[in-house]
Amino acid sequence: MSTGKKSAFAVETRGLTKIYGGRAAVKDLNLRVGEGQIYGFIGRNGAGKSTTLKMISGLASPTQGEVSLFGKPVSDPVVRRRLGVLIEEAGLYPNMTARQNVVMKAKCMGLAEEKSVDLVLELAGLSNTGKKQVKHFSMGMKQRLGVALALLGNPDLLILDEPINGLDPEGIKELRQLILKLQEEGKTILLSSHILGELSKIATNYGIIKNGELMEQITRSELEEKCQDYFQVEVADVRRALPVIQETFPQVQAEVSDARTIRIYGLSEGVEVNRKLAENRVPVYASGFHHIDLEEYFLERMGEDV
Amino acid sequence: MFNLLRMDLYRMKRSKSVYVCLGIMLVMIVATLGMLWLVDTPQGQKTAVQIGMFTAEDLAEAGDIMAGVDTLVMLRQTSLDGGMYNLVFGIWVMLFVCMDYQSGFIKNMLVVHQKRWNYVASKIATAGIVSFCYLAAQYIFVLLMNKLLGNMASYSSLGDVLFYLTWAWLLTVAFAALVILVCVWTRSVAAGALTAVLLGTGAVQGPLYALLNMVHMGGWMKYTIYHTLDQGSNHYAVPTDLYVYVVGAGFLALYMAVAGIVLKKQDI
Repeated sequence: MSTGKKSAFAVETRGLTKIYGGRAAVKDLNLRVGEGQIYGFIGRNGAGKSTTLKMISGLASPTQGEVSLFGKPVSDPVVRRRLGVLIEEAGLYPNMTARQNVVMKAKCMGLAEEKSVDLVLELAGLSNTGKKQVKHFSMGMKQRLGVALALLGNPDLLILDEPINGLDPEGIKELRQLILKLQEEGKTILLSSHILGELSKIATNYGIIKNGELMEQITRSELEEKCQDYFQVEVADVRRALPVIQETFPQVQAEVSDARTIRIYGLSEGVEVNRKLAENRVPVYASGFHHIDLEEYFLERMGEDV
Repeated sequence: MFNLLRMDLYRMKRSKSVYVCLGIMLVMIVATLGMLWLVDTPQGQKTAVQIGMFTAEDLAEAGDIMAGVDTLVMLRQTSLDGGMYNLVFGIWVMLFVCMDYQSGFIKNMLVVHQKRWNYVASKIATAGIVSFCYLAAQYIFVLLMNKLLGNMASYSSLGDVLFYLTWAWLLTVAFAALVILVCVWTRSVAAGALTAVLLGTGAVQGPLYALLNMVHMGGWMKYTIYHTLDQGSNHYAVPTDLYVYVVGAGFLALYMAVAGIVLKKQDI
């Protein structure tokens, strides 16, 4: 499905705004998803993730702003054929089988080949569901069928909103492997998930949205840098402790977290810090190594403006 | 649009509701023609008296109720004129359209088809195909029943049959477009069902006709889908008989356009 001409961004929004009843659900959003990225879109419930993804998919029209996919407007019929979408729950006819649902979407797309239907069912692990109607599927199976529908037509850009909802651990692992495989094939994946631990295993880039505003776009390496291990000491007096640390360990970066806490980055051994502080008569109440994961980072960012 | 139509036809063939609605229509024909047989034929009258359904006096009073009735009138009386057809057909259309919203499959369609008119056009085309099949099946069934019950009614000419069925078909498709408009607008099964019940059976048009008549404007009600379907001519005699096509095409274009505009403005 790939076209010869490449654009730097698979998805680019400029000043994207959506207002419902006088309240902005999405405000001046400038999102950029490079081709080949797995972009994790993070935000609380009601932050505007699904609204943004719907506008990117052309299911909702922006109040203001523009959406480009592969450098072309989202309304371009050619570019829309490069798009596979699973937003909110998988839209499925309950009285039909998995295969019939996929055939329906294939007909809707004008795909004549039955092979593509079998292929996506195989990829989603649903090729042997036979005549079982979708209404008898588990939530995980429905979700996988939704992913299968999104994969139909070999799209270059996949937009997946909470794709791992309802999946069991095995299903999550399979979907993770599938997403990584699709990225290896050069596809771009824009996905949102509340399960940040899982997202952090696959995403190459992140965007954090809060109250409809994009707070930050960050690459995995930038995040890793921000989330690096640190040694935290709780002391009686940070004003006395900080110069001791900075003088004794000039190679590390120390920052005051609050009135009693100092975080030291780039340190491999903590015993020496405690010893030096004790030598300088700075009481240490607690100390230890910490690691920020995506979840903590996200919560920290969410809490910043509260 | 043709891809969507292919998809809709694929689903339509696999849905039970389309066959259930046809079954209801055919059962209504059997019931009505069965009653006519009991009242109108000597053998039927004998049976009716035997089972205590009618007395000989009742039957004598009924007289020749089949006088001037041909197979087209039979079809109209059993199905279309009273609004039974639009009620059942309207409910099927409502089920067919609302299922897209209830299941969420509409997202899969409209992600692919940016031009949302295609969606409305496809639904109306599917309704048109179904209505054609329903009308044809019903008329063939009336012919078969008439034959089976001893040719109670005379056979209508082919010209009349084509004339009536084409304009009736156009009006039923216009009614389907109205139901589609309501379903797209409200996304509500209840609203769609109410439209089919209230507007399909004339429950709104009747009182409205009475009210408008008070200010001598009741004549306009002649041009509603319900009244046109009820009062349109069986055979073409004068050019004014063609007004039925104008009413059908006019409402079809109107409802289709409004449904397209509504869907275009909606977020899915």
